[in-house]
Amino acid sequence: MPSTKEIRGRIKSVKNTSQITRAMQLVAASKMKKAQDAAMSGRAYALLLAEILDSVAGQEIAQTHPLLQAREVKRRGILVIGTDKGLCGPLNGNLFKEVMAIKDDAVYVTIGKKATQFISRTKRPLMADFPLSDKVSYAEVRAIVNYMLELYEDGKIDSIEILYSAFVNTLVQEPTVMRIVPMTGIHDLLEDIKKRYKIDLSDTAGDEREMIFEPSAKEILDELPALYVKQIIFQSLLGAKASEHSARMVAMKSATDNAKNLVSDLTLEYNKARQAAITQEILEIAAATQFN
Amino acid sequence: MALTLEIVTPEKIVYTKTVSEVVLPTKQGEIDILPGHQPLLTVVEGGEVTAKGDSVEHLAIDKGFARVQNDTISILTEAAIDIENIDVAMVEAAQKRAEEALQKAIDENVDPARIEELENVVRFAVIQKLAKKGKL
Repeated sequence: MPSTKEIRGRIKSVKNTSQITRAMQLVAASKMKKAQDAAMSGRAYALLLAEILDSVAGQEIAQTHPLLQAREVKRRGILVIGTDKGLCGPLNGNLFKEVMAIKDDAVYVTIGKKATQFISRTKRPLMADFPLSDKVSYAEVRAIVNYMLELYEDGKIDSIEILYSAFVNTLVQEPTVMRIVPMTGIHDLLEDIKKRYKIDLSDTAGDEREMIFEPSAKEILDELPALYVKQIIFQSLLGAKASEHSARMVAMKSATDNAKNLVSDLTLEYNKARQAAITQEILEIAAATQFN
Repeated sequence: MALTLEIVTPEKIVYTKTVSEVVLPTKQGEIDILPGHQPLLTVVEGGEVTAKGDSVEHLAIDKGFARVQNDTISILTEAAIDIENIDVAMVEAAQKRAEEALQKAIDENVDPARIEELENVVRFAVIQKLAKKGKL
């Protein structure tokens, strides 16, 4: 049995740790709220944008747009969004399991130190890594999007995909692969998004009349696909941030709870040891008086 | 009263209401949408959207896209505000700040993305002022 002094030392160190995890939990909780709000509020915009693009994508002229054209995917370009810091539970681990499952020819672009480390450690082809601040801005996203689009236009990659922890709720984050370019699958993607986020946009289904485009479908197509790629990546980044802070909050909360349990277990052990020592001492005194 | 007007910006859904008639500023001039309109996808210019229902409401919007389908008008834009809520003094101050920052940004040759952001602010400020004046 360890001595009372040893146990006391352990209780103290566990308590210290729990103070740290508790502080981190509180920090993550406040960041989580902001990140979740940001992620939720942008969804309607991204969805409407995707819907509008979907209605143009069916036009014949859309087939001439490089981003909408079908292309045989020989080498996938995958943007992996990890976190910069650890201590967020199984979030990155789950994400990397998805990466391990990819067996096709693929090159990677990463965001977040953890993702960069993982890709380079597993000797996968890493094209570039980008930093991302806590408050995601368009300027940061633009650099990433332009880089990926350039690779796509040069034919170095044949698809732009994004692998990130989609935010479902505080307790659930789902590692998801989403193919953004070529946009041939936009209709399925749209259905998927609609199912996943229950957004209260008005339903416009059921109007089968032919759509008019003003000034022309071509002019609408000029800007729309690039805007869509930017917006959908921006939205995914917001979701990934919300996931990160949620996962960290939950991980830190369970760490704090565990520490509390450990302290109570150790306290019990300490009291037992103390009692045993006292009993021992009384026995010794009693024995000593008997012999006198 | 069979039209649904919906204005969506990156921040939130700004406006959702059932109305009977909507005037949109498009690239080819103002168009008037009534119930039963054929599906339409159009590029909207920055300007004033008028929604006529029980009362007439005016909103200033930035450039974007509008889709009319199944008697629902969805406007996708960077920014939108009810003209009632525009405070000209505040808008002017914001425009001035943005213009100064823009000039500085151009002089210092910073990130083009930042410049574009500021240009958007300035443009929307101008739209708001024009819309407000048109109504007064």
